[in-house]
Amino acid sequence: MELFEKIITPVLSYTEEQPDRRCWSADTDMQWPAGGYGRIVLKEDMGLELGSPEKESLSCLLWTENLTLITDSRITLVGPDFSESIGQSLPFGKVVLVGVTGFDEDNAYERHKELDFLRYDIDLTGFMMRAVSQYMKEWCRVNHEAVANGFSAKVLGSSLIRLLRKKPYVVSAEVIFFTSSTEAVRRLREITAPTEKIVSAMDKMAAEMDFECESCDYQEVCEEADGLRLMRDKLMAGKKEAAPYG
Amino acid sequence: MADTTILALCGKGGVGKTSIAALMVKLLSERNDRKILAIDADPAVGLASALGMTVRKTVDDIRKELIGNIRKSASPGQLETLKSLDYEMLDALEEQGRFALLAIGRSEDEGCFCRINNLLKDIINDLADKFDIVLIDGEAGIEQINRRVMKTVDQLVLVSDTSAKGIGVANTIAHVAHEKKAVDFKSMGLVLNRVRTQAEVDGIRARTRIPIYGWIPEDDLVREYDYKGRSLTGMSGDSSMLSALAGMLERMVKPA
Repeated sequence: MELFEKIITPVLSYTEEQPDRRCWSADTDMQWPAGGYGRIVLKEDMGLELGSPEKESLSCLLWTENLTLITDSRITLVGPDFSESIGQSLPFGKVVLVGVTGFDEDNAYERHKELDFLRYDIDLTGFMMRAVSQYMKEWCRVNHEAVANGFSAKVLGSSLIRLLRKKPYVVSAEVIFFTSSTEAVRRLREITAPTEKIVSAMDKMAAEMDFECESCDYQEVCEEADGLRLMRDKLMAGKKEAAPYG
Repeated sequence: MADTTILALCGKGGVGKTSIAALMVKLLSERNDRKILAIDADPAVGLASALGMTVRKTVDDIRKELIGNIRKSASPGQLETLKSLDYEMLDALEEQGRFALLAIGRSEDEGCFCRINNLLKDIINDLADKFDIVLIDGEAGIEQINRRVMKTVDQLVLVSDTSAKGIGVANTIAHVAHEKKAVDFKSMGLVLNRVRTQAEVDGIRARTRIPIYGWIPEDDLVREYDYKGRSLTGMSGDSSMLSALAGMLERMVKPA
């Protein structure tokens, strides 16, 4: 099933163009103490802030069954690492790329949500995250102690990859972080902009059983993304079956 | 919310409740080991100015945006909505050192959106849980605290001056809290403000069954700050109001 492939390729190309990018392999055995779940980091305790409402922020998750697109366990950082930016508030871009198997029209929506919600399960001492899915924004704070103890893009990326890899249908996962500049994150937002429409279209399909494609805001995106069209066709067939004379 | 102490201040308008709330926040935040959440539940949003802060976003602004999104059918699933409200609530916090202020704002279309109000209350409760002490500056109507902020508080602090009207309102609030279960609370007490003599306190004690947490002498320094429009949080320890409140807080808030 194809949904995000046309977005993944330009994201990877744009990332590879960045001269200051660094890559690590995820350390899935990494032992960063838990205990940050749901906590709040106030400005006074803050060692670093990423993607605050005053800064550019982009966060999205893209999956594919084309496993050649994903470099498993790779963590890429474009811009300064967290411990190199103590006391700063930086723009933040995060793209999570997941290689999956067995996705179809019936399970794609539910699984997409499952994967997306995993970010809320990240439980790292000194780390706080809030997100608005519909605007693809993520706002993180890391407290002084965590930054001083080496909290880094690798720690955060490893934690997320470890959670993703626990799902039986996840074959590979990689994470790309941008902290370099407002412009770079803005460009990343432009590249990933269709994600918002695709996810909103899936939300609409899941929420409504009435398909008036002619008047639907997402008609264009449905025609464009093969996977969405399949999901819609399946749902419409189900509707006809349920009400053959309706 | 086992480790969070919640104080809610209520009382007749004009008795100095917001000034007391601001000074309590100041005193509590000076104890470096605690995170304080001040909730301005008075539609006049007076606590913010008493603390010398400006409010950019209120809970009611968040509520209106949420209602707008629902009307436009632009709202995603329930969990995403909850998570985005977490984000919005953090964005609405005004922070200063160890304390953060959340303003509830003025709601003009109450009643039609109970589910949304309850959702927001859940988010406020969840946020409050992340702090050591929560101090709510409410309006006279105690039901508003229940309806718009939270159902359960530890200490219900009724504030009054020495006027018969102020004490009458405090008695009414106590009645509504006790008999109508408007808010769940562990203890309730009266803080008397602008007291001139011990005899006034004794006289009031005879007119109310509400236990008296303490009293605050009329303070010339407070009058001067009010007159000049200065934030009370800039007051020094020379203030008799500050000293009296510090003593009361020792009794109200358990040590860390």
